[in-house]
Parts: sequence; structure tokens; C-alpha cells
Amino acid sequence: MSLVLIIDDAAFSRRMIRKFLQVDGYEILEASNGREGLEIVHQYQPSCVLADLLMPDMNGFEFLQALQNEGLNIPTIIISADIQESARNQSYSLGAINFINKPPKEQELRAAVQQAINTKE
Amino acid sequence: MNVTADQLDALQELINIGVGRAASLLNEMVDSHIQLEIPFVKILTATAAYEELNSRFHEASLASVKLSFTGSFDGTAGLIFPTESASALVSVLTGEEPGSDDLDAVKIGTLTEIGNIVINGVMGSISNVLKQHMNYTLPVYLEDKIDNLLLPANTSEATKILLAQARFVIAQLELIGDIILIFEVGTFDALIHVIDEEITLLADNSY
Repeated sequence: MSLVLIIDDAAFSRRMIRKFLQVDGYEILEASNGREGLEIVHQYQPSCVLADLLMPDMNGFEFLQALQNEGLNIPTIIISADIQESARNQSYSLGAINFINKPPKEQELRAAVQQAINTKE
Repeated sequence: MNVTADQLDALQELINIGVGRAASLLNEMVDSHIQLEIPFVKILTATAAYEELNSRFHEASLASVKLSFTGSFDGTAGLIFPTESASALVSVLTGEEPGSDDLDAVKIGTLTEIGNIVINGVMGSISNVLKQHMNYTLPVYLEDKIDNLLLPANTSEATKILLAQARFVIAQLELIGDIILIFEVGTFDALIHVIDEEITLLADNSY
């Protein structure tokens, strides 16, 4: 079963995302900032990562940059409240494969994760 | 700086667009109709802003989420609820019973995230229309009276700030809230300058 990592400092958002994805039977791990997320990536190599942008310690941009620096090719979807085009563009330029605004819609999220995992496989 | 009628009109419309976007996000989250009051925009001294906010909120205890922004413009944006409304909102979103210990346990985290999403809806819309990027600090949750919530402690009496305020009502949930934006002095001029450029651009393209 595919492993999905959710990185968000807001438990409320992690819970919402987990609830949507559990329907598809993924194994789900959670981290509350980019640094924790990176440690989990090293340890478990998830099939797909969902990451927020605005987080303490290591934000989503820094997390994407760290993946790039380490040559870790893990499909990453940004899920952020930030609706600025500039934030979206920066995410894509740092290697994100998708960008979804909060609050995520269940069908859109599930389709994006499915697509990300298919890309990985 | 004095603001012309055109500049104020554009500013008001920017806030309208942003608040509209924020309301649609809130509507998605709570699945209830959001009724918006027309936002007002005023340019005030810090002292007058305190008076304005105090007259609106009196001595009420409020729950607020504050997000500061830097970049082309510096300032603070806040989402404010009377505490009962805040609890009602969390109850709707989490399914926890009003007044329960479980509701208290998730209240701060839930409201912080709601504030984050709603304020991003306002500020991001302004950013996208004006093509000016902003960086956000992490959202901060506070419960206090209005004069301790939004205005920075170091503002002098002469400081000019832009105060934008929009009230929304979710009748179904008996809930009211306010979105308040405060732009600090140094960048207020920059904001007006960018709005002017936008007005000029639109005038050039009109026939």
C-alpha cells in the first residue's frame, strides 16, 4: 500500500487531509514542519508528500529546496492557504508537481495524490 | 498623504475582491451562506484607529487570528470573532460539542488555521491584482480586548494607518466575524503608488 506523508503545522488541516485520503486506503504519516517531514522522507521514502508552505522551523519552500538539493525525487503536492500566483509559481519552480489551495476539496485532493503516485510508479 | 476619490474607490474595490474571496473559502468550510456587509476603508491616525475599533467592539472579549505581512507592503491583517462566535465556528468545523473540554482542546488550532485561510484569501487577492508579492509570518492566535489585539505597540499618535474592516454574518450559525487590515505608514504610500499605476494602466486601455 502506498505511503503518503502529510506535512502541516495545523493539526486541523492534517486531520482534514487524512480523512479525505483514508478512503483510498493509503498508509499515512504526519509531520508538523518541513524539517520533521524531511526526516520522515529519509526514513520511509513515501510515495507522495503533501506539504503546507507557511510552517515554523522549515517552511514548504525550504522543504522543496532540500529535496532538490539531495536529489530526492518524491512527488510533492503543495497544499496552502496562500493564493498568490507568485507563491504558486515559486512552488512549481522548486519542483512541486501540483498546488492546491486550502481548504482542499476531497475529489481534487484524492485525484492529485493518485496522479502523483502513478507518476512515481 | 492625501488620498483621491479614485484611489479610495480602487482600494475599496480591492478589499471587496479580497473579502469576497475569503467569504467563499469560509462558505466552503462551513457549508452555510455567508452574508457580507460592505467593507469600509478609512485612513486614520493610530489614535483615531484605536477609537474606531473601540467604538465598534467596546470592551468585548474577542478571539483573533493575526497574520503580519512584509514585502511590497508591511502591515497586519486580523480575523476577529466575539468569543461565543469563535466557539460556535469551531464546533461546526470539528463536530465537538459546544462547551466541552474537547472543543477547548482543538479551538486554538482550528481558529488559527481558519484565520490563516481567510486572511490569505484577502491578502492574496490584493497581491494578485496588484502583482506585488507579500511574505507572511506565522499566524498568531490571541484572546483579548480589541485595543490589545491588532495595533502594534510602537505606533506613535501621528502614525497614519489604513484601516479596512469587513463584517460577515453566518445567520444559520448565529455567528459574526470581522476582517480587519492595517497597513503601516511606510508602505501605505507604496500601496497607493501601485494602485495609481493600476488606475493609469486601466485608463490607458479604456476606449
